[in-house]
Amino acid sequence: MPAVKKLAPEIVAAFQRKKFTTPILGVTSGKGGVGKTTVAVNLACNLADHGYKVALIDADVDAPNAALLLGIALENPEPVSIGMPEVNTERCTGCGLCIDACRLNALFLPKGGTPLLLGQCNGCEACFLVCPEDAFTRKARMVGSTYCTASCGLTLFTGELTPTAEESAGVVKALKARAFRQAAEFDLFIVDTSPGTHCNVIFALEGADLVLAVTELSPLGAHDLELILSLLDIFAIPSRVVVNRAEPPGTTEPIHAIAALHHTRVQATLPLDDSLVKSYVEAVPVIRMFPQSSCALIFSELAEAVAKELAI
Amino acid sequence: MKLCITATGKDLSARVDPRFGRAPYFLLVDTETLHCEAVANPASATGQGAGIKAAQILTDRGVTAVLTGTVGPNAVEALQAAGIKTYEGVDPGDTAQEAIDRFKQGTFSASSAVSPRGGCGQGLGFGRKDGLGRGWGRCRP
Repeated sequence: MPAVKKLAPEIVAAFQRKKFTTPILGVTSGKGGVGKTTVAVNLACNLADHGYKVALIDADVDAPNAALLLGIALENPEPVSIGMPEVNTERCTGCGLCIDACRLNALFLPKGGTPLLLGQCNGCEACFLVCPEDAFTRKARMVGSTYCTASCGLTLFTGELTPTAEESAGVVKALKARAFRQAAEFDLFIVDTSPGTHCNVIFALEGADLVLAVTELSPLGAHDLELILSLLDIFAIPSRVVVNRAEPPGTTEPIHAIAALHHTRVQATLPLDDSLVKSYVEAVPVIRMFPQSSCALIFSELAEAVAKELAI
Repeated sequence: MKLCITATGKDLSARVDPRFGRAPYFLLVDTETLHCEAVANPASATGQGAGIKAAQILTDRGVTAVLTGTVGPNAVEALQAAGIKTYEGVDPGDTAQEAIDRFKQGTFSASSAVSPRGGCGQGLGFGRKDGLGRGWGRCRP
């Protein structure tokens, strides 16, 4: 277990800050495939069915699939672009300031020529800032798309990274910005993240008031739960653990121990349930397809607990 | 000809370094007089774009040819844009002096776009991206 990094309180405060009052529930996990999206979709549907205005943000931009679980087609695409520098060769004097400013060494200046963009540019625009001749113009490079789909009684915001693009975190940011512009219309945001503890996950969880860390009982699940809870500790985000596929019964001890270690607790334990698998295949959330199944009842309780905790 | 040899040390007795952008030193050698100037490579520990940075340093120093092991795809483009000839395939076991001797015997031939994108150069590119560089690229929105 690596030593937990301490962040300056200003950074933590900035991370938790948001410009609206609508609460944000994060649904995340260290390990992939543990059921984040299943949890997020069922909570969103349950709360929507109870009359809450819910926005579900699918921020797993590398593999967004909440729409698949809801059985809906994505609508209202908007491109996400970053600005790439393009040199106006008539203005450029070849001074080379942009070459020194580029942290990624992406620009090359041939002798007597003007800068060429040869390496990978992440759109930071430092070259624009340092250029005394104002010789750079922005050329958009599309790195992904966002979608806004109103269906099934809720609003789904989906982010999608363009294959081969690296700017996942940028797409997550653009997606959240799009959803948050409409914050006044919603009672709750549910943000479904990528698995892991990397920058996409961090950006997705920025501003969250409460986070559900989903896990399974396997050693992999336990190990990665430890990681994600450590991340949540670093940013001081309140969390609860949701155990999925809890089979056989009685083996949840290690998960409870990890949760306790991080001063949190297991809020819900979902058994292996055929109805969940059937609903998954049919692309209808279990809470709507089999409302009396054990899983659906647990989701209802969880939704109620979340609504109470977030005071919506 | 002002020839740059990528090397592990500061003089001609040092071993060559087959990596172009990551070599710790560039030995700038006048092939007529054998006068040698060593330039420390600040890009050897750079996260991303070491090859382009290295090409920039050589361009600014008026180098006309490079003798090294392999040049990555981005650096190939930079060197071509700068009109610097590239000679690849030095033996990492050789000292810089031995490499120059072989060079003078005509062992190496100038390559044009030896490491095309998607070709054998891809291996190098991949290594660069999966290192620190990749972390940077992804983490900055």
